[in-house]
Amino acid sequence: MVKKHQIRTTVNGEEYDLLVDPKKTLLQLLRENLDLTGTKEGCDEGECGACSVILDGKVVNSCLVLAVEADNAEVTTIEGIHRGEDLHPIQKSFVDSGAVQCGFCTPGMILTTKAMLDEIPDPSEEDIKHYLEGNLCRCTGYSKIIDAVNLAIKHSK
Amino acid sequence: MKNFDYIKPSNLADAISALKEYENAFLFAGGTDLLVGMKNNFLKPQYIIDLKGISNIKSFEYQEGWHFGALTTIRDIEVSETLQQKMPFLCQAASSLGSIQIRNRATIGGNLCNASPAADIATMFLAMDSQIKIISIDNEKVVGLDKFFTGPNSTILNRGEVLTEIIVPKDAEQFKGVYIKFGPRKGMDIGIVNIAVLLDADFESGLCKRIRIALGAVAPTPIRARQAEGLLSGNALGPDSINKAAELASSETDPISDFRASAGYRKELVKTLVVRGINTILASNRNS
Repeated sequence: MVKKHQIRTTVNGEEYDLLVDPKKTLLQLLRENLDLTGTKEGCDEGECGACSVILDGKVVNSCLVLAVEADNAEVTTIEGIHRGEDLHPIQKSFVDSGAVQCGFCTPGMILTTKAMLDEIPDPSEEDIKHYLEGNLCRCTGYSKIIDAVNLAIKHSK
Repeated sequence: MKNFDYIKPSNLADAISALKEYENAFLFAGGTDLLVGMKNNFLKPQYIIDLKGISNIKSFEYQEGWHFGALTTIRDIEVSETLQQKMPFLCQAASSLGSIQIRNRATIGGNLCNASPAADIATMFLAMDSQIKIISIDNEKVVGLDKFFTGPNSTILNRGEVLTEIIVPKDAEQFKGVYIKFGPRKGMDIGIVNIAVLLDADFESGLCKRIRIALGAVAPTPIRARQAEGLLSGNALGPDSINKAAELASSETDPISDFRASAGYRKELVKTLVVRGINTILASNRNS
């Protein structure tokens, strides 16, 4: 009989007490228990970045984190970055640049961009490509995504 | 994924005794290989022992050589300003691994213990003449990393043993180095061939004092090209000697053919990359 674990985790500023099965991933916890379906399941093995969330300030693939590891941790998902009624400036930049086509990779792209700008406020084009290399997009071909990131940088100045 | 129990000890002694107590227990560091293996039902542990609660194996310090705790993340190495100054080649190898999401989680101990023949950090640590510390319930030993790997995904570690530390000798800082991961794309890929070259040379005269060449993805484990190193150490670095060393390095490899490349292509590539690695170091240090 597998032992479940009691965890306390903060997601988008809200505290949750949850009883989790060890094999539940953070991605499953977010989508299935908390109904935060903005975080997407793509490959489910750390290749595509669609499930990117920010865990204690660092962008990670939530499919490769166990839910139980989120105990005493802070998680930010795409649902948690808006500013009141307004979109986050990075979200606006993605809209304004037409960097969204099917939209499946977009939450991950935006959270990775946020983690990058929190760490490197003025990244070079090389920095951007290196930082976003773990987020795959199969629609736009990346140039509009990079435009969006550059627009977000411009707005943040 | 099969069911398993999750254990999170807060110190090393508890982790080692848990490993001894539970059969079919796996150590869990960054999880970027372990969880993928479990999802594919390739690995079926009954227990996983999360090492992230053990605080004293998560960082690195200089103490007559560099001591890296096994749970140091790849990202911690990549962005360390101290390491960028002292051993930029190590940061370069770290930076070429996976993606930011992976590097934030993956650890150096995990990279070594997973024992992929194509592991980026393992290949660089091998070139750095690193040693590893292995602890069990009644023993502690330090062995050369070149004795650690025994084949793809296999090491000398016995049940109940934990790799806790990677020790890089202090003279690693005297080398100039480069890491080249050769493949069709820069991010999120495994190299067709990986090479780490460390060179201690008189860059004015072109005399090679010492050279170390480690190769990844060309044998069942990451390997050192010892014969090529022997040919160049103590001798002048010129096009002829470098080409000869490259030929020799290629002959020291034993690659497989897979969907990334054929064995023959890998052998040819080794020749090119040895020359490219050495010339890259020469070009960036001649005028400095």
